[in-house]
Amino acid sequence: MSDFNLEIREENEIIIIKTSGYLNNVGGEKISEACYAEIDKGKKYFLLDLENSKVVNSIGVSILIEIIEKLQEIDGKLGYFNLAPIVAKTFKIMGISSYSELYESEDEALTGILS
Amino acid sequence: MNVDASDQLEYYLNSLGELGEVLIDSSEPNSVGKGLLRLTLGTIMSSKGAIFLFDNQTNLISVLASQGLKNRGSFSPPQSIKEELKKVRHQYINYQTSDTWINGALKENIDELKTKIIVPLFHKSLLIGMLCIGKRFMGKTFSETEIKLLQIIGNHLTKALYNYILIKDVENKERDLNLKLLELETLFDISLAISSVLDIKELSEEILWRSVGILNASKGLMLTPEKNSPILKPSASFNWDDQSFLLSSKLEVFIKINKSGKGAIFSKKIKSPLQKKIHEDQIIIAPLKVKNSVLGYMILCNKETRKGIIDFSNADLDLLSALCNQAAVALDNARLFKDINEAKQFNESILGSIATGVLTINDIGEIDSVNQAATNIIKQNKEKLIGNHYMYLFEKDQNIIEMIQLSELESKTKAEINLPFLTASKESIINLSVSPRTDQNLKTLGSVIAIEDITDISKVKNTFKRYVSKQVVDELLGDDTKLKLGGEQREVTILFSDIRGFTSMSEKMEAEEVVKTLNEYFSDMIDIVFKYNGTLDKIIGDELMVVYGAPIANKDDTYRAVSTAIEMQKKIKIINSKRKQTGLFPIQVGIGLNKGLVVSGNIGSRDMMDYTVIGDTVNLGSRLCSFAEADDIIISKSVWQTIQSDFQFKKLTPIKVKGKEKKVEIYKLIDFKSLNI
Repeated sequence: MSDFNLEIREENEIIIIKTSGYLNNVGGEKISEACYAEIDKGKKYFLLDLENSKVVNSIGVSILIEIIEKLQEIDGKLGYFNLAPIVAKTFKIMGISSYSELYESEDEALTGILS
Repeated sequence: MNVDASDQLEYYLNSLGELGEVLIDSSEPNSVGKGLLRLTLGTIMSSKGAIFLFDNQTNLISVLASQGLKNRGSFSPPQSIKEELKKVRHQYINYQTSDTWINGALKENIDELKTKIIVPLFHKSLLIGMLCIGKRFMGKTFSETEIKLLQIIGNHLTKALYNYILIKDVENKERDLNLKLLELETLFDISLAISSVLDIKELSEEILWRSVGILNASKGLMLTPEKNSPILKPSASFNWDDQSFLLSSKLEVFIKINKSGKGAIFSKKIKSPLQKKIHEDQIIIAPLKVKNSVLGYMILCNKETRKGIIDFSNADLDLLSALCNQAAVALDNARLFKDINEAKQFNESILGSIATGVLTINDIGEIDSVNQAATNIIKQNKEKLIGNHYMYLFEKDQNIIEMIQLSELESKTKAEINLPFLTASKESIINLSVSPRTDQNLKTLGSVIAIEDITDISKVKNTFKRYVSKQVVDELLGDDTKLKLGGEQREVTILFSDIRGFTSMSEKMEAEEVVKTLNEYFSDMIDIVFKYNGTLDKIIGDELMVVYGAPIANKDDTYRAVSTAIEMQKKIKIINSKRKQTGLFPIQVGIGLNKGLVVSGNIGSRDMMDYTVIGDTVNLGSRLCSFAEADDIIISKSVWQTIQSDFQFKKLTPIKVKGKEKKVEIYKLIDFKSLNI
């Protein structure tokens, strides 16, 4: 679990980023770089598949908050699915779930992010 | 008031109205700054200006909003800036490029804006920022009204920014509280894990992952001591690839931790052996301690912040110690559970491997455990037995129910042997013991029932006790390898005895007397047979057939066979002397012995089996018996060859027997009546 990796794909104008590894400073920066690059291309909707990121720290969360703020400026949205219970709990406690959406599945996320 | 002044006043009032709208509509500092700056510059007819913010925590100046500035990064303020601005608090500064109290990056920015007026933004004594305005349109000087207006806008801006600082502060505090909540939740989750996760590896990983996350560490390791070794082995790791280092509990840091029971922080400035060994600079370590025993250690590395890696703090050590204390209890529980499970499995494997059936009954009389042997003996599967009440299970065996009740009542072990066991089948015979089941305080928790299935043993006994002595039966039951009932060829010595003239004798006797005579005769003879461990093969009329060497072979089979014959003749002499006293006919017996190969085995069904021997050897033995006259013991050559040195013999003329072409050599035992055997 030492390397943090991303897989990026696009579906119906939605950027889906599948992560693997510890969502910390390093992981968060990689996500934000990827998001900002897509924002520059005009993309507004982002989904994070966190199935393979079972651990997150508050630095990772603060980077996600920055991405959310950036997306709010362009009326974009950030959502997540396949969250480990501990990650979902951390997102809720850190308040991140009030500004972004937590989905149960990819299908639900793909529909929900555009509504 | 002339028209120009009136228009000017209306314009300024409109500007103040817009100011209110900007303040109400804007939701965050950037938009307030941007809106207010645009409004201000428009109102006082200037094209350049900026709002600078002072961050009192970082002591850095940043640009909140600007018009006419190229670079908008953060920078350090001049040393004397606060003091200089304090001098004109609630006033303004007419800035000259020649002013020396401003320097560095701030001066570059201010000069770039061609700043003329600086309005300090103070909330009480707290410097929040400053509003800088460039030259007025067409180089005109600012009017007093415009300056006044600038100060009014500055005051509103101060209030707005102070509010945002407060909001930001509240947000930061909320974030800190959330982090504290997360810490508490993590501690709570670990305490829940104590009762839910009992797999040591899973639990170790869960606790480590959570600790790494909550402490913003980049990686973590849980170390536990190897059995009987000072080596500390990673029992869980997170984000830690290189585990090639060898750590010993003899390392000073571990000795110190064990002694004090407290963890430690290693900063970048320190270069301890632990840091060198694991190739990390910033480490926090805490012991997993239960009572006075250290189960292991948790090591985390590199505390992350947005600005890079920093040293762990004492607050981090407090949190990690709390996590480790919880973790140690959880791991100790899991270890105890594992030990109990292993002990249970060990007990079960022992119970499973023994032939004795064992059932345990709880305090309400329900069966709560059985071993494999018990299910075999009772002939019911485990699922059917567990939870069943013993009174239902043993309802066909009331004596067993009484034993259980008596054992419970008296708190004593009760045992019975050779019990019929109708619960299993009509044929089942068991040895049974019932013992009270107690806890460590000797409180009765039910009973333990041990059942030994002796059905087969009983059958064997019943089968053989008619044929062999108790000693032989016991020998057979004690060593299965000796018991070959399936049929085999073996060498035996066979003894036949027959009462001479019994048929004509019995014709002169009452039937009852015949039976009585035969019973007394056979009783005495069979006692002698069993004394010499002979196998009584058959009683046909007045004839007796005894085998030596089957089912158990011994070196002295032939000697014992001959000894039996001698003692039988001697006993008959005693019987006859008694019979003579009562006026009865004497019994005269001839005995023949042969030795050779026979086929031996159980012949018949399982319930009606007959152990016997068949073959020529048997036939010749019978013929020799027929040839023997009253009081004679006639033996074949094979018998003679075996025991010729032990007794006295007379070789007789070979005889012709049925089924044999050649005449058979025979010998007569002589001078045996005086032998003391």
